[in-house]
Amino acid sequence: MSLIALRNLTKRYARGVIALDGLTLDLEPGIIGLVGANGAGKSTLLKILLGLLEPTSGEATVMDLDVRNQGTTIRQFVGYMPEYDCLPPDTSATDFVTEMARMSGLPRAAARERTAEVLRHVGLYEERYRAIGGYSTGMKQRVKLAQALVHGPRLLLLDEPTNGLDPAGRDEMLALVRRTGTEFGIAVIVASHLLGEIERVCDFLVAIDAGHLLRAAPLVSFTERTGVLAVEVEEGADALSAALVAHGLQAVADGRTVLLAVNEDRQYDLVRDAIAELGLPLVRLEQRRQSLEDLFRDAVPPGSPMPEMPHPPEPPHAPEPPPAPVAGGAPQ
Amino acid sequence: MNAPTPARGSGGSIYDLGYQGYTGPRLGRRSAVLALFFQTLRACYGIGRGGRAKIPPFALAGLSILPAIVAVGFASLAKQAGGGALGDISPIRYESYHGLVSTLIMFFCAAQAPELFGRDQRYGVLPLYFTRVLTRVDYALARMSGLIAALLIVEITPYVVLFLGRVLVAADPVTGLTDELGQVPHFVLQGILVAGLLGGLASLVAAWTPRRAYATAAIIAVFIIPPIIVGIIGTQTSLDLAREIVLFSPADVLDGTNAALFGSVSDNAVVSAVDLPAWAYVTAAAVGLVASIVLTIRRYLRIAA
Repeated sequence: MSLIALRNLTKRYARGVIALDGLTLDLEPGIIGLVGANGAGKSTLLKILLGLLEPTSGEATVMDLDVRNQGTTIRQFVGYMPEYDCLPPDTSATDFVTEMARMSGLPRAAARERTAEVLRHVGLYEERYRAIGGYSTGMKQRVKLAQALVHGPRLLLLDEPTNGLDPAGRDEMLALVRRTGTEFGIAVIVASHLLGEIERVCDFLVAIDAGHLLRAAPLVSFTERTGVLAVEVEEGADALSAALVAHGLQAVADGRTVLLAVNEDRQYDLVRDAIAELGLPLVRLEQRRQSLEDLFRDAVPPGSPMPEMPHPPEPPHAPEPPPAPVAGGAPQ
Repeated sequence: MNAPTPARGSGGSIYDLGYQGYTGPRLGRRSAVLALFFQTLRACYGIGRGGRAKIPPFALAGLSILPAIVAVGFASLAKQAGGGALGDISPIRYESYHGLVSTLIMFFCAAQAPELFGRDQRYGVLPLYFTRVLTRVDYALARMSGLIAALLIVEITPYVVLFLGRVLVAADPVTGLTDELGQVPHFVLQGILVAGLLGGLASLVAAWTPRRAYATAAIIAVFIIPPIIVGIIGTQTSLDLAREIVLFSPADVLDGTNAALFGSVSDNAVVSAVDLPAWAYVTAAAVGLVASIVLTIRRYLRIAA
């Protein structure tokens, strides 16, 4: 079964703003990250998949159902967690989630039972009987996730699920998302502009920018090893890089870190010996992976960087050219 | 796509099942619309909210029944005292009841409609409704009919109390029943027109005015200001002009339908003076209801979610 199929999907807003521009994509079930800067078209895409927005042109199907005329059937099997606040403060989590289950067509008794189950799953216990207005942001995010799960969806669409959470809250939410996707076999699409988070949760990645597809591929292919080794030393980085260059390696010092290209095991020995000879205090040796933002650095025109991620030091050699956007592909 | 096989047996003692997918029945759109209708109806009376939310609706509903209870009480006392005629000269009758409670119905609208229609907009809940099996039109219709049903209860209950009281107080309950039965269609129709027109207009105003305080003020204004204008025009300037515009004043229209349905002379000076035919008022009320439904749906079709 195809989870999502897009053919030339275009969404143009009233004042000529193009949110999606000829997107073609096939996705199969899995935990899918949808990354892009703010305004890249992530939320628009989710809303089209839900039938909240009508596409300007092109086709989109969810679980082989057309978003244009089978929206009601699609929405029966899709859970949606919006980016912004969507909870009435004067209702308890139990009442609200039950209400939402009923709105998905669940019978009353089943709605209550499911509500108790999903609230426990997201980690809300006694406080679920209190009014939502008194909840912390973390608890509110859990309620938002619970209402998306309550009707037992086959596809979960999460729009910035860690919005407004502190680091600990982010970790818990991401673990919850990951667990929901893997243990319960629900397909999940997580939209986020925080690449680091996507990296931790997803196994397939779709990158869009300005309504265009940059790339869709399994996460591993995004973060392949670049063959760059980072050596961090307390002092003497310059001496180390000079020693390594003398041994015929490509190395540059960058602050306390020496970056060098490695492609065979013997080079690790050279690094070890050089450090030992110079008597340098070694902090760490680290394989640098091609990070997600490299993808954007190459694809995004200058002047629109990803604001959330500081750029890592430039590797000593030119980064590999980004693979051409793939218009198909699937996890596994 | 869905296999309605109940997943849970009974009598088991498994303490942690972990998360389970839902495999039970999915009743679809009709069930969701009905659920929203009943949820709205309950919310109109503050059921499922805190205790404070129950005070305004129950106070207004109580006040609207009070005259009927008083009337029945006096009639039964009068009967015991042997003054059977007292019931007939009571000022609290079917045809005068609208005048007694219309303001309360208006306040009910002003208190509850903003809560129903504004809350989901203010707190961003609409996307959650629209991403389920309901359509936008379903949402608007379920909310409106929930409010109208709540108003209908407030509106009709006093008439029913009056009706039952008069039947039981009558010298012979059987003749009393046959005497009173003829009035039932009149007050039922009047109740539907009042609940429909006031509920429809209140929904329309509240749907377009998410801010609660503004919506309350706007609803009161829609019901109170037009009769004042019509009244001034009717008494100070031209009765002909008043005849033209009286049908645009919801409160006057309902005074008109009341007089027309019960065949009485309205105590609304303008309505009795302009002397429009009965069908004009009933048509105006029906048109007002349909227009407010259409415009409320339009609002929800266009609202961003």
